[in-house]
Amino acid sequence: MENNTIMNITGVHKYFPGVHALSDVSLDLQRDEVHAVCGENGAGKSTLMKIIAGVYRPDDGLITLEGQPFVVHEPNEAYRKGIAIIYQESSLFPDMTVLENIFIGHEIRKPVLRGLRSPQMIDYRAMREKANAVFNRLGISVDLDRTVRTIGVATKQMIEIAKALSFDSRILILDEPTAALANREVDALFKTIRSLKSEGVSMLYISHRLDEIFEIADRVTVLRDGKHVATERVAATDRNQLVSWMVGRSLDNLYPKEDVEIGEVIFEAQSVSLRGVLEDISFNARRGEIVGISGLAGSGRTELALSLCGLVPPDSGTIKLNGKAVRIHSYREALEHGIAYVSEDRQVYGLVLPMTLKVNITHKAIRQITNLFSVINRGKEEQIAAEYMHRLAIKAPDSEFVVNKLSGGNQQKVSVAKSLAVEPEVLIVDEPTRGVDVGAKSELHRIISELAKSGKAIIMISSDLPEIIGMCDRTIVLKRGRKMGELLRNEMNQEQILHMAL
Amino acid sequence: MVRIKPTRELSLAVLLAALIIFLSLTTNFNTVSGIYSFLLAASPTIVAAIALAMVIFTGNIDISAGTISGFVAFTTGYLFRAGVPMLLAALAGIVVGVALAGLNGLISVKFRVPSIVVTLAMTMVHIGAYATFLPGSGWVENLGPGFTWFGRGRLLGVIPYAFVVAMLVAVAMMWVAKYTRFGRSLYAVGGNAQAAVYSGINPDRTVIKVFFLEGALLGISAVMRATTRSEIMPSVFIGRELFFIAAALVGGVSIFGGVGKLSGVVLGSALVYLLTVTMIYLGFQDYYQFALQGTIILLAVFISSGDFSRLKRFLRPGTVGGTQ
Ligand SMILES: Nc1ncnc2c1ncn2[C@@H]1O[C@H](COP(=O)(O)OP(=O)(O)OP(=O)(O)O)[C@@H](O)[C@H]1O
Ligand SMILES: [Mg+2]
Repeated sequence: MENNTIMNITGVHKYFPGVHALSDVSLDLQRDEVHAVCGENGAGKSTLMKIIAGVYRPDDGLITLEGQPFVVHEPNEAYRKGIAIIYQESSLFPDMTVLENIFIGHEIRKPVLRGLRSPQMIDYRAMREKANAVFNRLGISVDLDRTVRTIGVATKQMIEIAKALSFDSRILILDEPTAALANREVDALFKTIRSLKSEGVSMLYISHRLDEIFEIADRVTVLRDGKHVATERVAATDRNQLVSWMVGRSLDNLYPKEDVEIGEVIFEAQSVSLRGVLEDISFNARRGEIVGISGLAGSGRTELALSLCGLVPPDSGTIKLNGKAVRIHSYREALEHGIAYVSEDRQVYGLVLPMTLKVNITHKAIRQITNLFSVINRGKEEQIAAEYMHRLAIKAPDSEFVVNKLSGGNQQKVSVAKSLAVEPEVLIVDEPTRGVDVGAKSELHRIISELAKSGKAIIMISSDLPEIIGMCDRTIVLKRGRKMGELLRNEMNQEQILHMAL
Repeated sequence: MVRIKPTRELSLAVLLAALIIFLSLTTNFNTVSGIYSFLLAASPTIVAAIALAMVIFTGNIDISAGTISGFVAFTTGYLFRAGVPMLLAALAGIVVGVALAGLNGLISVKFRVPSIVVTLAMTMVHIGAYATFLPGSGWVENLGPGFTWFGRGRLLGVIPYAFVVAMLVAVAMMWVAKYTRFGRSLYAVGGNAQAAVYSGINPDRTVIKVFFLEGALLGISAVMRATTRSEIMPSVFIGRELFFIAAALVGGVSIFGGVGKLSGVVLGSALVYLLTVTMIYLGFQDYYQFALQGTIILLAVFISSGDFSRLKRFLRPGTVGGTQ
């Protein structure tokens, strides 16, 4: 056993100003093992991974790689020691092509001239070949010359994965690689993980989707509040055990949906079309109702949401609120009509990362906290921020904390809080629980349910089918920009939805 | 695999061609001396705009590029007057360029001061130094043909030596930008500094290096310009940075970093210069020239971007804006 250990982490501490992110954490990684790391949002998982990847240095503790002390000062050194990482937050360059993104920082080079000390130049052909090989392995084809800015979240995530795979590493760290992926891509990823494992690559795998851990991992380590709680073989534990290690209590219901009296139609979309993307989509949402939008990635789910809330005004079609046609050509108009949207991409569209929690939460609700002269009422701002930090259990020292220092899941909560704070009549949520831990997920679901109960309408996009089935009264299914049909709550099951979506 | 896309380079080339046709039809531009003087005047700007573009790729800027050029010119001329062989004098001038630009980079990175602040302050320091420390405020005259042979020399009667050097520099730098890790990391650092770190790039080192490189290119550019005349006055370089930056931006470089091509920058420099020439041919006075040129640069950036969707959106009210 002992000499099968590739990396050993003992007694690691990490302090950030005001936060003791890791406290005496130990973990050992075996050769060709998939080792899952679990814990609530802000438990310290990403911080630990970033220490291994050379982004942060531990304040105390010892790490060894194959028995040798492992000290790295920057990611570059970690890569050279055979450690590759898929970061939780996007590390792509929007203005570069897919190919450039995959190899940036570790481009394949060849000598300019034949000769020993010849300078090196980038070998685009070799990079192309390798990139194609990696995408083949992942079972997808991606245009290598396309600019990343124009690519959807799921494909971007696959590019991040391809980037990490292009390193030929001994240790691969995957920090929530599947948060943005649908089933099919997850399957391809898992196949790749298994074959890497058989080639002797060790992996650290982080996910809030517990089913995945039971499917892919050999062992699991649980962190809570920066402390090590347990390490166990996956086969020797179960879901409830895992949840109680993570949350410190057991959790009864992930989908706390309430029985609600459904009222009159409040929101109606008629024949909404967007050239090349959406075709003639009609549906409505009634007071008290949660309406799901399902479909594969690329089926037009997000585009539909964007056109309903004025961010990408549709080419044709009508939107009616309370039976009256309204003109929504910008997001501002949507907000004025009481429609709010939570983006699927919190980092790019959802948040102003370098600003504080307070500013972010009240950003859309700015009208509610300003007076006649557009001066911000500080007390009110603080009060709203505090209310949502409390309701969504956002883990931060105070409301002045800068959002990009929050853990990924807590950023997601802020992104949702922004839209809740405007107290919308119609709330459109796009992958609302992406990257959120089980406890917080149940809590977010409860908040959404309560909102519906108070007579609002909710439109929910999610690739997580159990979430759609658990929460929605009705779901419409999209396929290639067309509506394939609607399913009522009692008709919904995974097979039926997939059958319509495929 | 050659595909023609409606890129910025293409629209720039079209614009350039249109202007040249206009000039040849209406003026005596289309003569040996017309072409010669255009190429001669454009060459230093091409090299300096490339220098600036590479700095701007990383999300930085060098406002002091003009005044640094002044020091380079002075050093070269002064040493030549003092009897140093021309080649050595030019080399010394370039070294001064490297040192001054490198200093900008070092200060900005080491003290975490944005480069716009550092180089703005440096511009003032430089201007002050011209008057205070340089003998005769840096005025050097009667340099003679031993000094101007490079600047005034021409190949085949039309092509200035300076232009040949400018093209060599351009090709070399395009190669660096596309085929070296350093070149790619310029875009990475300017595109997303955090992601650059995550990709194993050291942004600090990259930025320092690019400032040193910029200094060398500014040095070459300043020697080119200085050697066209028999006297040197560093203060004429004050304000040149506006043209360098404008040329880079017209060429499609994003002022926010991470985006741009050096081929575009070459075309952009030519365009900015051609505009100057056009003004002169059309007989505008100096001060009109500046105002008109500014306006035309704005237009050029806009037209060459080839992106008219903004204009359309602008003309259709009610659809602009909307942050989430
Ligand atoms: N750069 C930083 N500065 C200050 N605090 C930080 C920084 N990075 C992380 N933290 C804090 O450290 C704690 C652990 O964060 P970490 O990102 O490791 O959580 P996580 O377990 O990955 O959570 P999630 O599941 O939400 O991704 C959080 O309280 C976070 O706010
Ligand atoms: Mg995390």
